[in-house]
Amino acid sequence: MPGLLKMPRRAALLPWTFVGLLQLVLILLQLAGCLLSPCLEVIPSKAFRCMGLNISGVPPEVPNTTQELDLSFNNLKSLSSNYFSSVPELQFLDLSRCHIHTIEDNSFVDLHELSTLILTANSLQHLGSATFYGLTSLKKLVLVETGISSLADLPVGHLHTLQELNLGHNSIASLKLPKYFSNLTSLRHLSFFSNKITYISKGDLDALREANRLNLTLVLSLNNIKYIQPGSFAKIHLGELVLRSSFENFHDMHTSLHGLAGLQVNRLIVGEFRDSLKLEEFQNGLLSGLCQVQMQEFVLTCFRNFENDTDTLFNCIGNVSSIRLVNVELEEVSEVPMFPQVKHLECKRCKFKEVPAVKLSLFKELRVLRITQSKHLNSFRQKFKNLTYLEVIDLSENRLSFTSCCSPQFSGSANLRHLNLSFNSDISLTGDFTNVKNLLYLDLQHTKLDNHGTYPVFLSLQKLIYLDISYTKTHVKSDHIFHGLNSLQVLKMAGNSFENNKLSNNFKNLSHLQTLDISNCKLVQVDQSTFNALSELKELNISNNKLLTFDPVVYEPLQALTALDFSHNQLSVLLDSALEILPASLVYLDLSHNLFECSCSYLNFMKWITEKEDLLQNKHLMVCHTPAYMKNLSLSSFYLFSCRPNPGTVACSVVILLAALVFIFLIYKYYFQLYYLLVLLSGCKHSAERGATYDAFVIHSSKDQEWVIKELVEPLEGGKPPFQLCLYYRDFLPGVPIVTNIIQEGFLSSRNVIAVISTDFLESKWCSFEFDIAQSWQLVEDKAGIIMIVLEEVNKTLLRQKLGLSRYLRRNTYLEWKDKEISKHIFWRQLTGVLLQGKEWNHEEEKLM
Amino acid sequence: MKTSNALVLILVLLSINASTEWPTHTVCKEDNLEIHYKSCDPQQDFAFSIDRCSDVATHTFNIRAAMVLRHSIKELYIKVDLIIGGKTVLSYSDTLCEPGHSQLIFCGKKKGEHLYYEGPVTLGIKEIPQGEYTVSARLTNEDHVTVACADFTVKNYLDYY
Repeated sequence: MPGLLKMPRRAALLPWTFVGLLQLVLILLQLAGCLLSPCLEVIPSKAFRCMGLNISGVPPEVPNTTQELDLSFNNLKSLSSNYFSSVPELQFLDLSRCHIHTIEDNSFVDLHELSTLILTANSLQHLGSATFYGLTSLKKLVLVETGISSLADLPVGHLHTLQELNLGHNSIASLKLPKYFSNLTSLRHLSFFSNKITYISKGDLDALREANRLNLTLVLSLNNIKYIQPGSFAKIHLGELVLRSSFENFHDMHTSLHGLAGLQVNRLIVGEFRDSLKLEEFQNGLLSGLCQVQMQEFVLTCFRNFENDTDTLFNCIGNVSSIRLVNVELEEVSEVPMFPQVKHLECKRCKFKEVPAVKLSLFKELRVLRITQSKHLNSFRQKFKNLTYLEVIDLSENRLSFTSCCSPQFSGSANLRHLNLSFNSDISLTGDFTNVKNLLYLDLQHTKLDNHGTYPVFLSLQKLIYLDISYTKTHVKSDHIFHGLNSLQVLKMAGNSFENNKLSNNFKNLSHLQTLDISNCKLVQVDQSTFNALSELKELNISNNKLLTFDPVVYEPLQALTALDFSHNQLSVLLDSALEILPASLVYLDLSHNLFECSCSYLNFMKWITEKEDLLQNKHLMVCHTPAYMKNLSLSSFYLFSCRPNPGTVACSVVILLAALVFIFLIYKYYFQLYYLLVLLSGCKHSAERGATYDAFVIHSSKDQEWVIKELVEPLEGGKPPFQLCLYYRDFLPGVPIVTNIIQEGFLSSRNVIAVISTDFLESKWCSFEFDIAQSWQLVEDKAGIIMIVLEEVNKTLLRQKLGLSRYLRRNTYLEWKDKEISKHIFWRQLTGVLLQGKEWNHEEEKLM
Repeated sequence: MKTSNALVLILVLLSINASTEWPTHTVCKEDNLEIHYKSCDPQQDFAFSIDRCSDVATHTFNIRAAMVLRHSIKELYIKVDLIIGGKTVLSYSDTLCEPGHSQLIFCGKKKGEHLYYEGPVTLGIKEIPQGEYTVSARLTNEDHVTVACADFTVKNYLDYY
């Protein structure tokens, strides 16, 4: 029985477990979906990246408009014919590391537009002759690390448009180029990087011999060439030949280079890699084979251990017009051959300790000399002599430290145009530039210039166009330091300092200056006449200073300005006068990172900022500095939110205005009532003090005046006892507003009110106003009784329209005037009775209803 | 029951997250020196070894490193951070490959290629610091994409000579 008891509980548990499992499965499915997520759409409907998605074919979601498809790191295994028929517009196809071992014939046959095909790192086992059929536009074919061992079977002979064929990291042992290479006339780059080529024999390169191959680069680096048979390269013209780490030892290299005899090449690159130095050292005669090679440029890279003085580095390359030595541990310049033809010599990252000026002066034909990035190079004691043709000297990025620059070092180099001594340690200028007075470009940036700034050192450089003395620790003390630089167009002197941190007349003779960089100079003040001479200036960088103002007088002479960088200063605002003098030619203005004051009193400036969308650079970095609560709010949003009338405020003010208008209209319309209200509130006391002058105030229409005189005034004022009536035409004071009269003379001075109701009364506004007052008076003061006299000819319908009156008549008694003697008699008696009762008047009246 | 479902879900998510982390490999494990590393490139792990761990105490030592390139390295930049107690103490960066001047053999290798480096590494500093710290190294290419990334945890109590 206990077992039976347990049964229901288990049954209840099971569905829950099931649900849990189901959820788990669902989650896993979702995750799997994520892993197999569709390709990344790099350019909509044009470029897709399906890298590493473990897919085994062209994904169906890739549309047929796709031009770039990256299928790398997938599992395609083998490509069958028409494999890419769904993407016929492909121009770029990356199949790197897709585990492809078989490519069947016509696999790419649909890809007529394809220009780049990458098959890196697929161990292709067999390529049929029709493998690359259809690729009529193919320009670049990458077959790196594909296990190719022979060129003979490579079915690329029909790819006439091919420009780059990369066969690196394969096991090709022979450079015997099959005949079809002579058809590949567009070929520009042919790489056998890191293969197993050991021997190059005569005839191997015959296929390159026929056509003009001056555009072709042939890379044979990282092979293990033991021997190049002389004549292999004879009569071959190449654009570039690269032989880096191609030889195992000195002997192999020495003999192999002899095998290059007869080669004509634009650039020959020989040497090693920094992390693969097979040759122990450079020995005499290593390059002797190059005597037989015709070349324009020779590059030697990564060589170490030169036997100083006795080596013959230049022996066979003296006639080359351009020599570059990169990462060559050359400590001194080797023996220089007679009459070298070298025009361009460069040593980058060499091991010179001193500028080898004496030996280099033997290269009489030199035009360009560069010794750069040599961290051991610190001394410049030797002097160049009579390098008549020398135009460019670049000694930048060394550790040079020397004095008396720059005439003694370059005697006889009158053609020197370009001198670069930037990024060195420290140099002192003497002001003597007599030997190099034709200089056009002088770059001294980031090299400490000792004691520079006190006197005009550049006085003799009348032709100089470009001067860079940025970050040279120059401290400008004299106004004349740029004297003599009459042709200067570019002056860069960022990161220096001026006496008293103030710019004064320092630039007065630089009237041709087009570019001036005085950023980061700790400037606090600019004199008014500073830029007076710079009418041709196009670019001014005065950023990263401490300027507080933009004085229009200072900048007004700069009428040719196109670019102005005033960022990182302490401007609070540009005043209207400053905005006005900004020249129309200005297209670049950077005012970011200033200490702007956000206030709507600078409305013009704020508005100007929002308008000059194209002119202002880094607009998002133009932010408020003060007030504190606005800090870091961008100026344009400040303007939009705070200064520009926003729709809310507009609506608000319109509503207020309308309300005011309505109010005024209401006052105009209910003037009487309001006035009365005022009187009610203020005039109560008056009434108490004032005795009742009249017995009754008669409210009547002016048209009923005749009746009033005849039937009311005459009998009442003339009768016994005589009553004093208040009549508007008689008793109202002249020169006082009617309303005042009505209140003061009529109501406040009368005990009773007699209303003569007639058709005219109903039509008169004054009458109904007076009646309204009478009613409320009666209510408030509890004093004046209203005696209603209804004339018989009153139109009943008109009466009904006057709601207040008709209601009053319905609820109260009134006298009715009838033109009969008997009725008149009763009327008089009643009226006199009421008036007589006067003060103790009560509501007892005869009802005539 | 609902809490148990939530637990299952959290567990599954955690296990999935954990699986994207690469395992920690041991380079050296000696009395005075322990070096472990873990790839911080979400795309792949890589192989790394030091020929003789005791050589770490010298200026230059030989390493072997192998990986499959997910990106081409026409240009290659390295950035190394020394992190002690969660704070970056030293930072070093250098250009390994620059266009036009490939000084190292592997420069210019293409996406998909196998990269194998065997050779000396010269430290810019005279000796590696003692104590326990992390060295984070990251290689990026011309497109500023991470080519390889690794965090080395070092426990070094070697004596220098």
